[in-house]
Amino acid sequence: MHPSDSEPLRPHWIASTDPRLRRRKFKDRLARWVVGAGGFATIASILAILGFITFEVLPLWVPATATEQARLQLDSGATVLTAVTDEYRDTLQVVAADGTIRFIGLGDGREQASFAFPELNGEEILALAKPDGRNVVVATPTRLLAASIGVQVSHVATGRHLEPRVMARGTWPLPEGVHRPRLIGASLPDGDSVTALIVDAEGQPWLFAMRTEESFLGEVERTETIRSLQRPGAEITAVHVDPRGTQAFIGTRGGRLERWDLNDPAAPARTDDVAAAVRVGAAITVLEPLIGNQSLVVGDAAGGVGVWFRVRAASEAQAMRRIHDLPAHTAAVTVIAASPRDRRFATAAADGSVRVHHATTERTLLRLEQEQLVGTLVFAPKADGVIAIGTRGAVTHWQVDNPHPEISLKALFGKVWYEGYNRPAYVWQSTGGTDAFEPKLSLVPLAIGTMKGTLYALLFAVPIAVLGALYTSQFSHPKVRATVKPVVEIMAALPSVVLGFLAGLWLAPMIEDIVPAFLAALFVIPGLIFVAAIGFHSVPSRLRGTLTPAAEVVLLCVLVVVGFQLSLALNQPLEWLLFDGDFRAWMQASGWRFDQRNNIVVGFAMGFAVIPLIFTISEDALSNVPRRLVSASLALGATRWQTALHVVVPTASPGIFSAIMIGFGRAVGETMIVLMATGNTPVLDWSIFTGMRTLSANIAVEIPEAPQGATLYRVLFLAALLLFLITFVANTAAEIVRLRLRKRYQEI
Amino acid sequence: MRGILKSGAPFIWLTGGALATSLLMIGGLLWLIATQALGIFWPAEIVELALVDGGRALGQVRSVEEIPGSDDEMRLQLQVGNRDLYGADFRWYDDAEVRTTTRPQEAVLFERREWGNFYGFVVELWRGEERIAAGEQAWPELLARLPGAAQLAERIQELERAALRSVNDEIEAVRLERRRVESRAAAAPRLAEIDERLVALDARYDELQAELTTLVEQSRLEHVVVETADERRKQIAVTDIVFAYRPNEMTLPAKIGLYASKLWEFVSADPREANTEGGIFPALFGTVMMVLIMSVAVVPFGVLAAFYLREYARQGMMVQIVRISVNNLAGVPSIVFGVFGLGFFVYFLGGNLDALFFPERLPAPTFGTGGIFWASLTLALLTVPVVVVATEEALAAVPREHREGSLALGATKFETMWRIVLPNALPGILTGLILAMARGAGEVAPLMITGVVKLAPTLPLDSTWPFLHLERKFMHLGFHIYDVGFQSPNVEAAKPMVFATALLLVVIIVALNLAAIMLRNRLKRRFSTGVF
Repeated sequence: MHPSDSEPLRPHWIASTDPRLRRRKFKDRLARWVVGAGGFATIASILAILGFITFEVLPLWVPATATEQARLQLDSGATVLTAVTDEYRDTLQVVAADGTIRFIGLGDGREQASFAFPELNGEEILALAKPDGRNVVVATPTRLLAASIGVQVSHVATGRHLEPRVMARGTWPLPEGVHRPRLIGASLPDGDSVTALIVDAEGQPWLFAMRTEESFLGEVERTETIRSLQRPGAEITAVHVDPRGTQAFIGTRGGRLERWDLNDPAAPARTDDVAAAVRVGAAITVLEPLIGNQSLVVGDAAGGVGVWFRVRAASEAQAMRRIHDLPAHTAAVTVIAASPRDRRFATAAADGSVRVHHATTERTLLRLEQEQLVGTLVFAPKADGVIAIGTRGAVTHWQVDNPHPEISLKALFGKVWYEGYNRPAYVWQSTGGTDAFEPKLSLVPLAIGTMKGTLYALLFAVPIAVLGALYTSQFSHPKVRATVKPVVEIMAALPSVVLGFLAGLWLAPMIEDIVPAFLAALFVIPGLIFVAAIGFHSVPSRLRGTLTPAAEVVLLCVLVVVGFQLSLALNQPLEWLLFDGDFRAWMQASGWRFDQRNNIVVGFAMGFAVIPLIFTISEDALSNVPRRLVSASLALGATRWQTALHVVVPTASPGIFSAIMIGFGRAVGETMIVLMATGNTPVLDWSIFTGMRTLSANIAVEIPEAPQGATLYRVLFLAALLLFLITFVANTAAEIVRLRLRKRYQEI
Repeated sequence: MRGILKSGAPFIWLTGGALATSLLMIGGLLWLIATQALGIFWPAEIVELALVDGGRALGQVRSVEEIPGSDDEMRLQLQVGNRDLYGADFRWYDDAEVRTTTRPQEAVLFERREWGNFYGFVVELWRGEERIAAGEQAWPELLARLPGAAQLAERIQELERAALRSVNDEIEAVRLERRRVESRAAAAPRLAEIDERLVALDARYDELQAELTTLVEQSRLEHVVVETADERRKQIAVTDIVFAYRPNEMTLPAKIGLYASKLWEFVSADPREANTEGGIFPALFGTVMMVLIMSVAVVPFGVLAAFYLREYARQGMMVQIVRISVNNLAGVPSIVFGVFGLGFFVYFLGGNLDALFFPERLPAPTFGTGGIFWASLTLALLTVPVVVVATEEALAAVPREHREGSLALGATKFETMWRIVLPNALPGILTGLILAMARGAGEVAPLMITGVVKLAPTLPLDSTWPFLHLERKFMHLGFHIYDVGFQSPNVEAAKPMVFATALLLVVIIVALNLAAIMLRNRLKRRFSTGVF
């Protein structure tokens, strides 16, 4: 009820020419404008928080796009064997079957430089392998040759300058008996070493391993192993040798995938032989490793694409398994290129279709089309482009815009099978030691941690706060109430960093030794108070009357302290009786985890933070129950307790509900207490004896390290958005309930 | 018995027990912090333990407890200090290990600038190569030299912190100017002039550096030779000593005096030894500065928003929704505001400000990184609902008759607001502001990501232009607690410091809240309107 509601209160200005009056009018209008603008701006900016956070999260869901940058035609007729590009995608370096290496400008299609393959000496190239991003190994009828191809980038005043570089990496004569290599897989671990798996025209596979090892005296020792692999089975259609030269993979015409252990080149052993094609009998056409070389992408003649890595099934040895299945092409897969940055890879099929997939989330991100059968596929070094070269020399260059390929709803909230894991799991692990590390960004462990911390905090806080409020509002003297309320308000104001520090550094080490006592106190203290109350009731009522309201509270405090001391005394007997003398040892023996900074500590500390909130709001609701209801109940002969239980509490229950909702909101978002009082390990259990990592603490821990705009940064914004929405919904529900209750009180 | 249960008395007591538990929790917490914190400044006596194995240990008893897993056997925790010699500050001694316990009168405690406390005995006092005093004479001679040494140490610090830094800042500023000028055409004459200034500044810098070197040499001149309980000798420069005292021969007034000066050191001095010793002045200063900047930002906007909602906007569904939303923002987790502050203020606004006004410093960010301004603005957003709600309540409490009277006398709406409503609502607004300040002072999570650091080399307010450095990072009491208690390598040694900091923070916040409560009570008495 205020003036703006009722029109007549507005002064009626008579049009006036008095300058003073005009000035006053002007001031009044100005004030109205300033207040309106300022108020509106404040409210808008507050509401903009939600908008901004959402805006930062949205790019996570933007689907991948590809824009065709250029379409070129290579003029030479020679078949392209492989190609690489530089990290700016300025040039394409093409290795052709005629032994030329040409540097072609991707912008204009002009040839910038041309080299002969080092030391090829006019021999014919029969097969080629690409062990990594810049090295190439080729097989001629008599030799293996290795070369590295790349550009040297220098920055000059006019921009960057790219200097083509082609360097020989070594030559090795082919062993006797190898007749015209047809397929080759090779690795160049360092300097002079090479491990190659060569399949010759007869289909016979050969292992060729040249290892140089420097002994500690500085002598260089060379071991050369050449042997033909003795293997039954179908004709070999694809080979891949691991970059460290310790394992090789073979795909066959019959659709089987074999893994060979090459740790001892003298005795290669076949460890796996599994059917790998999507359709029985379809030949394996391509084997390509993903970044980190743990996962292998297998493409087959039926158009199937699968991602394989080794897992350890229960109590078994490691075995290759098809982990991820990607939507297949309709024609045979001809070539696969893996992203050098993340777990994406591009596949091309015989019908000219090109797809970009993400392995872990099992999604096909892009479906690209071009006309020719694709012979060579290049994933740009910065993973921001894909180049396809057709068998007839058509080059198509796409720019790929896809900053967050690893994020999908499933990756954030579902079980995901990560490389190195034996089964799908919910994992949060945002950073790792190597470039090949894949961030694991499941929000599930964090959500569970948040809910777990909140649940136990509320279990502790709600009874204490609501019962305390009931006592204060219904049974205590107004004077007691007048002191209690400000004290509780101060409790609400205590900074959570202080609570967290006490919980982590003082309470956690203390509770560790007295867990049984602590749990016993939950029963001992109420029991003691109950018994004391009955005892007190048998005291003659004349004496009872002398207990002043303040003394009653003091007496209750004493009882709580005595009850707690009693529980402490019970600690050792309980440990002997129930836990074989040592609680923690017993926990360990029964296979339970026990953290020093566990949920008891967090529940207690967070309960501490939540109690005053719930208390104050419940107390307001309880003490504002219309007096006449209480009086009527008492007049009808109900006791104070019956009145409280059957009249006051039901009437005020929406208020108590809203108090609990607000307490819930506070506990969900509490950061410092959980940050300090738990070990911050993401867990999936609901045990009260372990710690957890919550959404809020996770943000505090990780966001200082998250680069702006990176996936982690946006995922943390998403976590913040979730927190915002959860608390906003809880608080709004509480507020609406409270407003309705207030209206009801007025109506009753 | 049934009568008792029916009367509900035991249940009433149970509810009372819940209240008692809450009261005990808050009381216990305050008591715990106070006793732990206030005890650390007291010069406790030094005990010397003669051990069964023939060894000796000297130090202050920090705690006594039952040996875990034993019957009634006790052990004590001794702060033996001498981190430079022993490695660890604390040691446990079982009662069975100790033969005798004595309290030697001449045992001294040095609180040092480095390496923490020293416990031992003074043997000799030297100045350079010359021995000034030995034995009992050495102690009074040392005491007489301490004030001079403290002045010297202060001078050195002043040189390092202020003089050298300000010259350094100037050099940096001139360099940046040079870079700016360089990018323009026809810069040659200006460049020469700038280079001249650079040379002059470099010379000034060298001069100060030389003075510093002499002072440092001078400060190394005087030293005491001390001996530990296990008869190891060591030299300690007199300027390294902050406090030197013999607690065992001190009288009670002397102890109280020392207590007071240590307390004063705590609130007024800079931290030492990775924040685990010394004072917390920069953190206190940073907290106050941040709260003040926050208040400047929060009051006008909060009050305007409340006036708009309550007095100017047309009351209806929309305003009700907005009001509920603003209320609920008070319940949104503070870390969410921190995330917003980082994304919007630091990266978006700060990044653009840098690009516009400080391009010559890029890629080193000026405003594009956390700082006191962004932290304060973030907290202002966080506390706006507090001010809005309090102001709205205060406005609602101003009796309608006052407004009507004013309007009836011909005042404009603005005049009514300005002369009648605002003065009446002022205590309520102030209450809101104080509550906002208390909330702001205690928040840590959003600050951690928008500009608080564990050790800021400079205060956000100093004597170099423009005096108030809004872009600087700052220290904060709450973050200090978190950082020292949980991130420092020697948590056990740091605990007293954390307790003391926690006490200071709690005292500030409780005082602010009490002020708010008292103000509100006065206000209530004036208008006595119930609000629920």
